[in-house]
Amino acid sequence: METLTHILNGFSVCLQPINLWYTFLGCFLGTVIGVLPGIGPSAGIALLIPVTYGMNPTSALIMMSGIFYGARYGGSTTAILINTPGEASSVMTTIDGYQMAKKGRAGAALATSAVASFIAGTLGVVGLTLFAVPLSTMALKFGPAEYFTLMFFAMTAVSSLAGKSPAKAMISTVLGLMIATIGIDLQSGQPRYTMGVPELQDGVGFVIAVVGLFAIAEVFITMEDMTKGVRSEIIRLKGRLWFTKDEWNRSLMPMFRGGIVGFVIGVLPGAGGTIASIMSYIWEKRMSKHPEEFGKGAIEGVAGPEAANNADTAGAMVPLLTLGIPGGGATAVMLGAFIMYGIQPGPLLFQNRPDLVWGLIDSMYIGNIMLLILNLPLIGIFVRLLYIPSGILMPLILAISTIGIYAINGNPVELYFGLVFGVIGYVFRKVDIPLAPMVLSLVLGGIMEQSFRQAMTISGANPKIFVGSPICITLVALSVLSILLPFLLPRLKAWRDGSRDTA
Amino acid sequence: MMTDRVIFVCTLIIAAVYFYATTLIPSLEIGDPLGPKAFPRLLGGFLLIAAGLLFLEMWKERKQRTPQIDSDEAGIWRHGWVIVGVSVWTGIYYLAFERLGYILATAVYLLALMAWFNRGKWVANVLTAALFGVLSYLMFVKLDVNLPRGLAAFSWISDGVLAVVNAVINVIKSIRASF
Repeated sequence: METLTHILNGFSVCLQPINLWYTFLGCFLGTVIGVLPGIGPSAGIALLIPVTYGMNPTSALIMMSGIFYGARYGGSTTAILINTPGEASSVMTTIDGYQMAKKGRAGAALATSAVASFIAGTLGVVGLTLFAVPLSTMALKFGPAEYFTLMFFAMTAVSSLAGKSPAKAMISTVLGLMIATIGIDLQSGQPRYTMGVPELQDGVGFVIAVVGLFAIAEVFITMEDMTKGVRSEIIRLKGRLWFTKDEWNRSLMPMFRGGIVGFVIGVLPGAGGTIASIMSYIWEKRMSKHPEEFGKGAIEGVAGPEAANNADTAGAMVPLLTLGIPGGGATAVMLGAFIMYGIQPGPLLFQNRPDLVWGLIDSMYIGNIMLLILNLPLIGIFVRLLYIPSGILMPLILAISTIGIYAINGNPVELYFGLVFGVIGYVFRKVDIPLAPMVLSLVLGGIMEQSFRQAMTISGANPKIFVGSPICITLVALSVLSILLPFLLPRLKAWRDGSRDTA
Repeated sequence: MMTDRVIFVCTLIIAAVYFYATTLIPSLEIGDPLGPKAFPRLLGGFLLIAAGLLFLEMWKERKQRTPQIDSDEAGIWRHGWVIVGVSVWTGIYYLAFERLGYILATAVYLLALMAWFNRGKWVANVLTAALFGVLSYLMFVKLDVNLPRGLAAFSWISDGVLAVVNAVINVIKSIRASF
């Protein structure tokens, strides 16, 4: 089978010493980024893009994906030891993980989360391997109308699933699309919203936006927390870094269940690691014979969510690689990286550059093994990082952000853009407007408009093309479903709780 | 509640400004049946829909809200002045960035921030600020990333650092070669 040849060939790509090195570097940096507060994988990947300009794209992407799933491993370390999620998706791990740490079982919690992450992460990559080819073959049938409805679905999914207020998520999405329209319109050559600023003619670079919205804004929030006097107590790691047989038995099924939940949610555009870990937690609590233990140090509450947030990374790579649609914030940045290297992810990627895509997927198997080693015996290194004072770390992150933005074009005007995005990101965080939808729509905005106009050109300005094919109709139906979901869910819950009461 | 109202009003303002700016786009409409203004107009429409949704949410919340003590709405901005200060200082850093050169500008920038957020620990702060400036400059020059040398009076810092490092590397090379 041709695909099997490609998969094996991919191993020969990712096992090259240089790519092994980049896998390791990505995993290491990812763990560091996951452990450190104030910076996350999206910002980390965005900051690395200018540095990778001269590199072979395969190696660069291997490193970036290493950062992506590596951060999910690292985030649990802070969650367990300081009760602060180092990464948003580790938020559920703080609940039972920190409680376990307080009871002296920090080693067991850390070990469980590392093993859960490894098992689910590897299973997730297997899922990615299995789904990649059929999905990319189906994606070959996608024309501009199908791509537009797919992106539309991605945006509606992000809007309804991101946070409590779909209205605010929608505002964030539309604002991102609006920012994406700034610049010279490619199809007509007309300048739009450039306000006489020459740097805006190429539009607002998404790297600048991501660094501002995620890195700079995150630093602002952390600095504000420091001023408020928010202090966290670090628990010293003592005892063995392993778990008892009983704990293992209790964690096994949660790991598998978490892996499935994580992978499925990862494939959905818009839903990310945070939702995956929340759903896994809820499921585990429901399946448990001792639900009252949850919140007091139940190991299932660590195993499940940690498995989920790692399987989610593999799931998020599925739409990115097969369709060119990112599954979330970090994959949106990776899509931007692909575009910068001049590579178009999607079905053609599997046909034209199987070495790149399978080299990337196969590197994830290796990466998960490396991360297991980094997070078990070598975890002491990363725990040391927790002792760096934030007062030193935050300014350093700002300086690194400055380098990252300046490195793109050497234009100080772009630094100011970044700062503006930083302030916007800070304000949005304070008023509960989610940021991920804006990044998603910033990256997709240009392509979305192109697809829209191409489809309309093909159909001669007839909007019926968007319901013209089975794929389009399915996607439109899914979009409608996701728009209605926030309104339906509370009613469904009430109906189900009501029927349970009467049962 | 209050912040949501502010968001609502700001959204309407942004939609209005965007619609106005859309009319400023020159239009040719050759070939492409839609032209450069069509998609933006759609977006403006969606923004208004989003504002409408927000209004609905605020209305629903008002109906459900029990008259308890309101969450401290103005209070969430109480520490905002710190961020204003940091932003202004960062803006100054960017202004001076190319003139002072990367190393000096960054070291001064970092030192001030660390002096504020990591108070009292002068040794750690000075060391970190200076070392970060120098080491990151070297690393990025090696990676072929362009960082400002600094104009006129200040370029000697960057050039000096590079010269010292290159000299050290040459010395090491010649020691190795003589074996």
